[in-house]
Formats: sequence, C-alpha cells, structure tokens
Amino acid sequence: MKSLQLVVLPFVFAALTGCAVGNQYDYRAASVSLPLAGSGELGIAVIDNRSYVLDGDKEAEFIGLQRGGFNNPFDVTTASGNSLTQDMSEALGIALGNSGYTVTGLQIASADSAAITSAVAESGMARNIVLTVTDWKTDIYMNMTLHFDLLLEVITKQGDTIASNHMQGEETVSGGGIGASQNSRTASAAFETKIGRLFNDPEILAALAN
Amino acid sequence: MKRLLNLIQAGLILALAAGCVNTELTSDIDPSADLVGLETFYVAKAGHDERGIEVLIAAELNAMGKTATSGVAPKPTAPVDAVVTYEDKWMWDITMYMLELNIDLRDPETNYKFATGRSYRTSLARKKPEEMVTEVLSEIFGIVAEGEEE
Repeated sequence: MKSLQLVVLPFVFAALTGCAVGNQYDYRAASVSLPLAGSGELGIAVIDNRSYVLDGDKEAEFIGLQRGGFNNPFDVTTASGNSLTQDMSEALGIALGNSGYTVTGLQIASADSAAITSAVAESGMARNIVLTVTDWKTDIYMNMTLHFDLLLEVITKQGDTIASNHMQGEETVSGGGIGASQNSRTASAAFETKIGRLFNDPEILAALAN
Repeated sequence: MKRLLNLIQAGLILALAAGCVNTELTSDIDPSADLVGLETFYVAKAGHDERGIEVLIAAELNAMGKTATSGVAPKPTAPVDAVVTYEDKWMWDITMYMLELNIDLRDPETNYKFATGRSYRTSLARKKPEEMVTEVLSEIFGIVAEGEEE
C-alpha cells in the first residue's frame, strides 16, 4: 500500500503543478517590425507603471501567470532575469534601429510627468519615445489571455507631448497553452503586434517623420 | 478499487483522444489595413521549408484573383502591395502532417506585419497543406467557405 502511495504521490504533485512551475518568456526575442522608416536620434524609455509591481506584490521581472492542473497560479518571469521593461526596451530599441533611427536608452523610474520631463531634458534629444506599461501580463490555463494597458508618447526635449497613442484591453491570444517555449514565442508575438499597432497611428508616424 | 481504476483509465483514454482533436483558426488584422485594395503579392520562402509551402500560398492567392509570385529571396525584385511570410510546423502521427500554419502579410517597405492568420490542427483533425493554406488566407481576407455561415 505504501508503494502505491509512492507511485501516486508524484502524479498528484504533477497534476497540481504540471508544467506550470518556473516558466520564463523572452521578450528580447521579439522581432518587432515598425510601420515607419526614418533617421536621426531618438531617446527611448519604457516605464513600469504596473500597480502590482509598484505596490511590491510582484517583482519587476514578473510577466504573467501559468496555471497548474487545478487552476493554481505560478509566476512567469523574464528569461533574462531583467525587468520586463528592460527586455521591452531592448526589443523596441532594435526595432527602431532597424527602422533607421539611432537610439539612446533613457532611465525613467516612474510615470510621473516631472520625472519624464527631467529625463528627456537631460537627454537633450529632440524626440523621445516613452512607452508607459500600466498593465502587461499573460495568464495561461487552457488558453493564453493577455492583459495590456500601454501608452506610447513622442515627447520633445522641452517635455511637450507631440503625439500619443493608448491601447488597453484583455484578449485571448491564439497559440498559447501548449508548452513553455511556444508560450514564450506567442507572448513575444503579441508584444510585436501591440507595439506595431501603437506606432501605426497617423499622429505618431507624423511626429517621427523627418 | 477496480472500479476506481477503470474510471481513471477511461478518463485517461478520453483525455488522450480529446487531445488528438483540437483546431484553431484565427486572424488578426490591423484596423487601418485595406486588404481589399491589395492586388500584388510576393511570397518569401521560409528558410526551413523543404516542402514548397510558398508555392501553395502563391497559387491560392492567384486562385483568389490576386497576382502572386514566390521565391527564395526575402524581398521581391518588382514592387508589390504586400510581402507574405509564413511559418509551418509539422508533426508525426503514423504519417507527417501539418500541425500549424501561420501566414503574415507585411508592408514591402517597412516589413510591418499588418495582418496575420493561423490554423492549428492536431492529428485527428488534420487537413492537407493546400487546405490549410486556403483556410488561413480565407480567414485573413474574410472569405466565408462554402457551406459555412458568416
């Protein structure tokens, strides 16, 4: 009977946790293609404004939840070990570089307008891209649900916002739920799409045109 | 005890069988994209593809009344309205079958992905690659297949 318990216990543990523990996604692998081509210098910053990170409930490298067999949630974190916004900034920097711009990363600790104004003034660059992430997390059980709230702004060195585009929602993302590497690719692809759509706005495109 | 084991066994068989029949057909189009106005396409062969899926995609686009060519180069030699890229995944179950097909439409100038479609079919729901291509392109362009309701 004891040997039966020994056999059954691992199955119970596996059912509870499944492949849900220790998952990591790599947003640096995102291949973002932006709907613009230009040149010149741009400052870029991605600000973590997620309430669950700001209040200390989750770490900055938190990027979502993977649920086990009984819907029990486990945190998913960045594969790099860096914060989500660092990984996003890296992917965005590469995308803007591919679009022809010379990019310099800015460090902005909060979404507070004074902090943003001060950072862009210090950068001295005529145009700065600031992406404020108020929500970004995936939640996987049978399917992947993406929760997102993103604000993209083009800000002058004087701190004036000359263009902005906001996107917020909760949607099921096709392709998730099969395995950790596939989920990582699916989450990155969702990021590629959302960032592309944020930039594909007449106001943003005009502000970034030479 | 025997009854419990039978129940577990039945549950496992059901779960395995259910896992063999799983389909997804989705598309995601940039709201500002005008797909109706797209007439010319270039299908770029995926690096890993040894089955000629790019030819199937170009053939289906031509069958839809568009003008499409395909090739191994990532960019077309002549101007087109959209470049088509894709990713196909295959699985073995008695024979090889196409598990998943993703097709993307991109801006030829910027490479921006403005439309994407995906078909996912596990073994017991498998279809021929030609049919997967047709259903993904139909999904992207909003074409209702015969016998289906809008």
